Amino acid sequence: MYQLSSVDKKFPGVHALKSIDFHIKRGEIVGLVGENGAGKSTLMKVIYGAYQPDGGQILIDGKPVHFANPRQAMKRGIGMVFQEQSLIPNLTVMENIFLGYEAQFTRLGVVNWKAMAAAAKKQLAKVKLDIDPATVTSVLSFAQRQLVELAKVLTLEERVEGDLVILLDEPTSVLSGEEVKLLFKLVRELTSRASFIFVSHRMDEVMELSDRIYVMKDGQVMDVVAKVDADASAIQHKMVGRHVDREYYREQRQKPYDTSRTLFDMRDVVLPGRPHKLNLALHPGEVLCLVGTEGSGREAILRTIYGMLAPVSGRFEMKGQELRRFNPRRSVAMGVGYVPRERKIEGIVAGMNVYENMTLSQLGRYSRAGVIDVGREKALARDWIRKLSIKAHSEFADCGNLSGGNQQKVVLSKWRSGGSDIMLLDHPTRGLDIGAKEDVYDMIRDMSDDGVGIVLVADTLEEAIGLSHTIVVLKDGEIRQRFECRPGAKPSLYDLLHHMI
Amino acid sequence: MTMQRIKPHLPWITLLVLTAVVGVVDPNFLRPANLLSLAGDIVPLFIMALGLTFAIYIGGIDLSVQSMANMITVIASIYLASLGAWVAVLCIAAGFGLGMLSGFLTTRLFVPSFISTLAVGGICFSVAQWLSGNRALNMDAEQRNATFGWMIGHTGIIPNELFLGAALLAICLFIERRTILGRVLKAVGAGEPAAKASGINVGRYKMLAFAISGALAAMAGLLFSVKLSGGAPTIANGFLLPSIVAVLIGGTPLTGGVGGVLNTLIGTLIVAVIRASMLYLGIEATQQQMLFGLVLIAAIALTIDRSKLRTVK
Repeated sequence: MYQLSSVDKKFPGVHALKSIDFHIKRGEIVGLVGENGAGKSTLMKVIYGAYQPDGGQILIDGKPVHFANPRQAMKRGIGMVFQEQSLIPNLTVMENIFLGYEAQFTRLGVVNWKAMAAAAKKQLAKVKLDIDPATVTSVLSFAQRQLVELAKVLTLEERVEGDLVILLDEPTSVLSGEEVKLLFKLVRELTSRASFIFVSHRMDEVMELSDRIYVMKDGQVMDVVAKVDADASAIQHKMVGRHVDREYYREQRQKPYDTSRTLFDMRDVVLPGRPHKLNLALHPGEVLCLVGTEGSGREAILRTIYGMLAPVSGRFEMKGQELRRFNPRRSVAMGVGYVPRERKIEGIVAGMNVYENMTLSQLGRYSRAGVIDVGREKALARDWIRKLSIKAHSEFADCGNLSGGNQQKVVLSKWRSGGSDIMLLDHPTRGLDIGAKEDVYDMIRDMSDDGVGIVLVADTLEEAIGLSHTIVVLKDGEIRQRFECRPGAKPSLYDLLHHMI
Repeated sequence: MTMQRIKPHLPWITLLVLTAVVGVVDPNFLRPANLLSLAGDIVPLFIMALGLTFAIYIGGIDLSVQSMANMITVIASIYLASLGAWVAVLCIAAGFGLGMLSGFLTTRLFVPSFISTLAVGGICFSVAQWLSGNRALNMDAEQRNATFGWMIGHTGIIPNELFLGAALLAICLFIERRTILGRVLKAVGAGEPAAKASGINVGRYKMLAFAISGALAAMAGLLFSVKLSGGAPTIANGFLLPSIVAVLIGGTPLTGGVGGVLNTLIGTLIVAVIRASMLYLGIEATQQQMLFGLVLIAAIALTIDRSKLRTVK
C-alpha cells in the first residue's frame, strides 16, 4: 500500500539513506530499529514529508507521489506522533487536536466550541481516553498526552480518503510498564483503522509489537525480519555488527592504567530525579566508558562531573578533595575538560580564530591584570596546530570554517594545553569521517599515556569496547554492570546489549 | 559569496560615498574647518554609541542610554556648584551603577535586555524630572569654564572634544582587543554556549558590558551639559535612534559577535554626514528622526545574522 522504492538521501558529506526499499501493508505494524546515526530519523522524515528524497520513488497504491511538506503527506494519510511531544501545553486538548484545522468549526471566524468539543470527544474515544476536551493540556500526564497526540493524528481518518500510515517515534520512552502495555493493546486494536510504523530503542518492545522489523545500519536496510523468525541477538548483531578491527581502535596502544591514584571518586551519589546510588571512580590513564541507551543517565553523570548538575546526596571527591559546590568554573579549575556533543554550539565559537578558541578556558593563564598576552596565545596555537596537525591556514583561521575533525582537535587542544587531566568526551567522533575518527582515537591513547583520565560516551558500542579500559552499563539511571576491558579479553556487543535493554 | 566578502567593508565605503556626494553638492562641506566642527559636534553622540557598542556586541541592547544622558545633564547642572570637579565622578559612577543594574536584571533575573534597559531608562527619566522639578537648569558659566572648560575649547583649530573622544575610543579599543573582558564579550556575542562550556562566568562579564554602556552614556551626558551649560530631563532626546544607527550601520549587528568600537567610529561619522546633508537638502530638524528611523530599519535588515535567530518575536 505505502512503498519506498530505492530511496536515496544525501546531506553535505553524509550519504544518509542508501537505496532504501520499504513497504507497509494495510493494518500492519512495522518496526524500525537501528543504532544512533543509522538513518532511522532521516527515513521517518522522508516518510512523513519533512525531507524530500534525492533519488527513488514514494508510491501509494502503486502510484508515485511527491510531498513538499508534512501537510501534503498528511493529506495522503501519513501522520506522525512525535517523540518530543508536539502538543502546545497552554492550549486545551481539543484546540490541540484540531490545531490548524479549526475552519470546520468556524463561522465568520468565530469558533463553535460545542461542535469542536463534540468532535474532539469522538476522537478521544478512538484512543479510549475519557477526559474533558476542554482540559488544558499541561495538566495531563505524559501517557495521556501521548494518547491525545495519537488522537490528533487519527483525525486524518475523517479528513482523508484512503489508508492511514501512522509513525510512532519512541512512543514508550516516557511511559511506565503498565502504560506501555495499554498503548500496545490500543495500537493493535487500531490496526483496523491504520497501519503503524514503530520506532524504538527497546528491542523487546519492537519484537513484541511489530509484525515485521526493518533493521537499519549506516543508511541501509540490513534485513527485514518477520515476527516469527525474530531473534533478539541476531537482530542486534545486524544492527551493530560490522567488522571490528583491533588496529582501528588502537587497541595495541592500550596500556594498564595507574590504580594507585584516583582522579575522582563518587560514592553513593544520587542525582536529581533518579533514585539510584552511583559508585564510580576514575584513575590516571584510564578510559572509562559509559554505555546505555539515550536517556539512560550517561549525560547526567558527565554534567555532574563538569559541575553543571549538583548531586542530591552522596560523597563526590575530586583529587582527594570533597566537592560541596558545583559549577563549571570550579571543575575547570580542578582540571576537568569537557568535549561536548554539540561541537558547533558548545565546543567551538564560530567567528573566533584558532588561538582565541584555544585559550578561552584559560584566559587567566595568558594574561596579566586582565590584559591578554596575544603573542603567547599565538605561540600556543602554532604549537598545537603542529602537534595535532590541525588543518588550518594559520592561527588566524576562523574555527567556524574548519572541518569537523579539525574543530574537534581545536576543542581537545583547548583542554589539553590547559593541563586538564580529567577529560569528559561526549560523542567525540560524532559526524566525523573515518580518518578524523582515527585521529581522535590516537589522541585518546596519547592522553592515556600522559596520565589523563577519560570519561567517554561513545558514538557506537564498538567504539566503546575498542577504546575503553572499563565499561559501565547504565539503564534507567542505574549502574547495571561493569566490565574490565583488557586488550584481547574485551566483552562482546552481546554482553553489553544484554544489560542495556 | 561576493556579498559576504564585501559586507565587512560596506561601512567605510558608505562613508566615503556619502562624503563625496555631499561634497559635490556643496564644496564648502569638505573644508577642513567645517569637517572639524562637524566632528566636534558629534562627540557626545559618539561617546554614547561607543558604550552602546558593548551592549550590542554581546547580542543585547541598551535602550536606557538617552534617558541616562538626560538624567546626567540634570545631575551635573545641580551638583556642579557644590561638588566642583567631583561631579564628574558622581555622574560616571551613577551611569556605571545603573548599567550594572540593567546587567543584573538581564543576567540574573533573565529579563531580556531591551526591557530591563527600557525600565532602567524610565527610572532615569523620572529621576531627572524629579531632581529638576521638570525645568531647564543652567550651570554657572564661570564655574563651568573653570572646571570643565578644557573639554569644549579649541587646541589650534581642533575642538578639544575630539581629543576626549579619541582617548575614550583608544581605551575602548584596548578593552575590546587586549583584555580578558573584551575576549569574553566577543565569545559571548559569537557563541555564548561555548563560552559557558569553557567554564567562564559569563554573567559577570555581561553585567560589565552594560555597566560600561551606562558609564559612557553618563560621560556623553556630562559633555553635553557642559557644551550647553545646563541640563533638562528631555535635553538629550533625539540621541537614542542616531546612536543605535551609528552602532549598527558601522557594522556591529544586533546579533552581536562581530564589529566593535572602531566600526562605531565609522558609523558615527556616517550619522554626522547624514545629519549635515539634511541641512543642505533642506530637511527640517523635526523630520530628522523619520530619516533616522528609516536608516535604522535598513541598517538592521542589512547587518543582522539570520542564522543565529530561531524565532523573532
